[in-house]
Amino acid sequence: MVKIQKFLVYRNSGNGEVKYEQFEIPVSKGMSVLEALFYIQDHLDSTLAFRYACRGAICGSCGMTIDKVPLLACRVQVSTLKSSKKPINLPEFIFGDHPNWNPETEILIEPLPNMTILKDLVVDMEPFWKFYREIEPYFTREWNGIAPESAQLPEQMKEIERLVYCILCGLCWACPVNAKNSNYLGPAQLAKANRFVRDSRLDEKQQNVILSRILKDDAVPACEKFFICNKVCPKGVMPGTAIKDIRDNWMNKSNI
Amino acid sequence: MRNEEFDVLVVGSGLSGLRAGLELSEKWNTAIISKVFPVRSHSGAAQGGINAALGNLEEGKDDTPKRHAFDTVKGSDYLADQDVVMFMCEEAPKIVIEFESMGAPFSRLDSGLIAQRPFGGAGFPRTCYAGDRTGHTLLHTLNEQSVRKGVKFFNEFFLIDLIVVNGKVAGLISLDIAQGELVSFYAPYVILATGGFGRIFKQSTNALINTGDGNGAAFRAGVPMQDVEFVQFHPTTLYGTNILITEGARGEGGYLFNNKHERFMKRTAPEAMELAPRDIVARAEEIEVIDGRGIEDSYVNLDLTHLGAEKINERLPGIREISIYFAGVDPIKEPIPVQPGQHYSMGGIGTKINGDYGETDLPGLYTIGECSCLSVHGANRLGGNSLLETAVFGRYIGRRLIERGLPRRASLGDIKKAESELIDNTERLFQRWNENSGKKPVEIRETMGDIMNKNVGVFRKHENLQKAFDTLRKLQEEFKNAYLLTDDRKFNYSLIRTLELRNMLDIAEVTAYAALWRKESRGAHSRWDYPSRNDKKYLCHSLIYRSKEGLEIKTKPVKLGIFKVKERKY
Repeated sequence: MVKIQKFLVYRNSGNGEVKYEQFEIPVSKGMSVLEALFYIQDHLDSTLAFRYACRGAICGSCGMTIDKVPLLACRVQVSTLKSSKKPINLPEFIFGDHPNWNPETEILIEPLPNMTILKDLVVDMEPFWKFYREIEPYFTREWNGIAPESAQLPEQMKEIERLVYCILCGLCWACPVNAKNSNYLGPAQLAKANRFVRDSRLDEKQQNVILSRILKDDAVPACEKFFICNKVCPKGVMPGTAIKDIRDNWMNKSNI
Repeated sequence: MRNEEFDVLVVGSGLSGLRAGLELSEKWNTAIISKVFPVRSHSGAAQGGINAALGNLEEGKDDTPKRHAFDTVKGSDYLADQDVVMFMCEEAPKIVIEFESMGAPFSRLDSGLIAQRPFGGAGFPRTCYAGDRTGHTLLHTLNEQSVRKGVKFFNEFFLIDLIVVNGKVAGLISLDIAQGELVSFYAPYVILATGGFGRIFKQSTNALINTGDGNGAAFRAGVPMQDVEFVQFHPTTLYGTNILITEGARGEGGYLFNNKHERFMKRTAPEAMELAPRDIVARAEEIEVIDGRGIEDSYVNLDLTHLGAEKINERLPGIREISIYFAGVDPIKEPIPVQPGQHYSMGGIGTKINGDYGETDLPGLYTIGECSCLSVHGANRLGGNSLLETAVFGRYIGRRLIERGLPRRASLGDIKKAESELIDNTERLFQRWNENSGKKPVEIRETMGDIMNKNVGVFRKHENLQKAFDTLRKLQEEFKNAYLLTDDRKFNYSLIRTLELRNMLDIAEVTAYAALWRKESRGAHSRWDYPSRNDKKYLCHSLIYRSKEGLEIKTKPVKLGIFKVKERKY
């Protein structure tokens, strides 16, 4: 007997029309939520829109809210979702009325919170990229190919290693500050800033450029230490801890 | 009809496309066109590393670009073009150090230099790495530099076809995925950097987006596909989902075991053992399963448990995460179930004999990265050489085109004429899909993947290849009558996936055809019915064209002269 799993999926035509639709999906062994969505698109409703690329939790495309938790759809197994541990004390994400959701039996699929919805599960990532660009997340050294490379000790590299894992998926924008302040740069962006200012190879000038942006309004000072970002980050980047690092070590220095 | 005009168009925003775009943007009005945001590209999934004879480790201090080139040529089963391999290996140390100067966060040795690890088929520990997320860190580094330099992107634009005027490329037409509109781009240079096309197989490590869109567009424009019979099957893909488990896991000391707990590689490669090249390890695994020594008759075990928690957490944290989330296995405690899966396409868009590296027979059209065939990998690619290829030739093509200067543009009238023909064809195609009554695209896609897996896999023989080819011909016919709603085009991913299927059917058909033609075993192309290499007849590149009568094959000589062609043993 093939097991059937019910899904309740948020639909948005892009013209203001919102509804929740139910689908029944035959579950195959090891099926991810992303695969279930493809099943819908391939067999039940070809218009269902959602982003995807790698299906291996490295590209950051398929972030969405699954059973009220922001997750990467490719990394969630349909068969174990209901029994798996969920992060506690997350804010409530509201996208529309779904009076009929049965949390015991139905998997609820909604887009990422705090972003403009373009169609179904596709959100507008442009503000996310805009704020990413705004922190100027890059080295400004002249490129050169002459040996030896600039040195960095393993323990210096360790300081940024966790921060480098960020895949820019946007799950951390579930932060309540993002919910109320559309100018807030966001946890991923500030973690990226931390990745650069903590890098032993970055020159002081560029470090100051980055710090001067993130120590102002709508950036580090706007963080209210909810640490929701740490809970939902799929890569262990701990953006909240990164923001704390900036606050503790650079916030009160007079030379910035 | 919306259109945009540039000096040069780069299609694809993985490492190849970004590196080319960075170089070209300095001088020319350049656009990078990509169906995804740059950091979503599949380069980001590369794990193990990038090869360069830096000699940062004591054991590697005698390494040289020439030794790297020798390993690459031997690994290719002598089908790689030796001049281009030599160029790539000489560029390698410079390109890796350039990445570092851009800020790439490599893992480090105690000396502070970039860390290197052993990889399959290499005489020295030559593979520079950033944990087991090397591709991810390099992709993000190039994206950061693109932000710094203000590179112009058209993200979520899908390449449909190339505009050709008087036998020269003049631009392309695309589908703006968000708006659902056709948009044209005009330019006298187009660089295709669209990545691999592993999704023609059911079991592949490739991202779902690796569908050969550049290959399809080039092929329809009359450009041949080269050496596509050479498909790399990676020996360690996660059983079930076929997500990649890096060769670095064996580089760090992982063992492969069969159901008798034997390290079976001792039979095929007694010296190199688990670090024999990928084609050899993949075949050894298949043999274990065929001969009844597979676990559950389907896979083998990759055992890392003896490496200890510390080493696994430090060097292979991504592998641990993948194993836990996608297979429910913690490699610190138990072995990882693995099987061969399609991983890399050595072949690709054919390149001009004696042209610039990456130049095609269609003037103005260039190609780099996995979608291309330059050929640096010949019949089998060594691990750590694909990231290398992307950046070396991305930079090279940018510099080379700037040296050559901009060609004269076709007249706007001529471009418009060619463009409107393509637009009409595309509109008719969409219309037909909307009105058809045939199969859903998914049925055709799944049959294609199955047939390629079963018949064009690690081991091949005539009757299977013929069966695959015949089925693919049939699928091409069925595809003409495929049914799909196309009237609402905004974020219509079903439409995108059907356009991708159009490209994949062409490449799959060409792959089966080329594999039928090559009656020998060389590198990754292994035939039961022709088990040995035949240099007399087949030491040459295949080029497949579409003519009115069907597919046609031509050959192109291999560039030799630096290393002597020998038997390949490990």
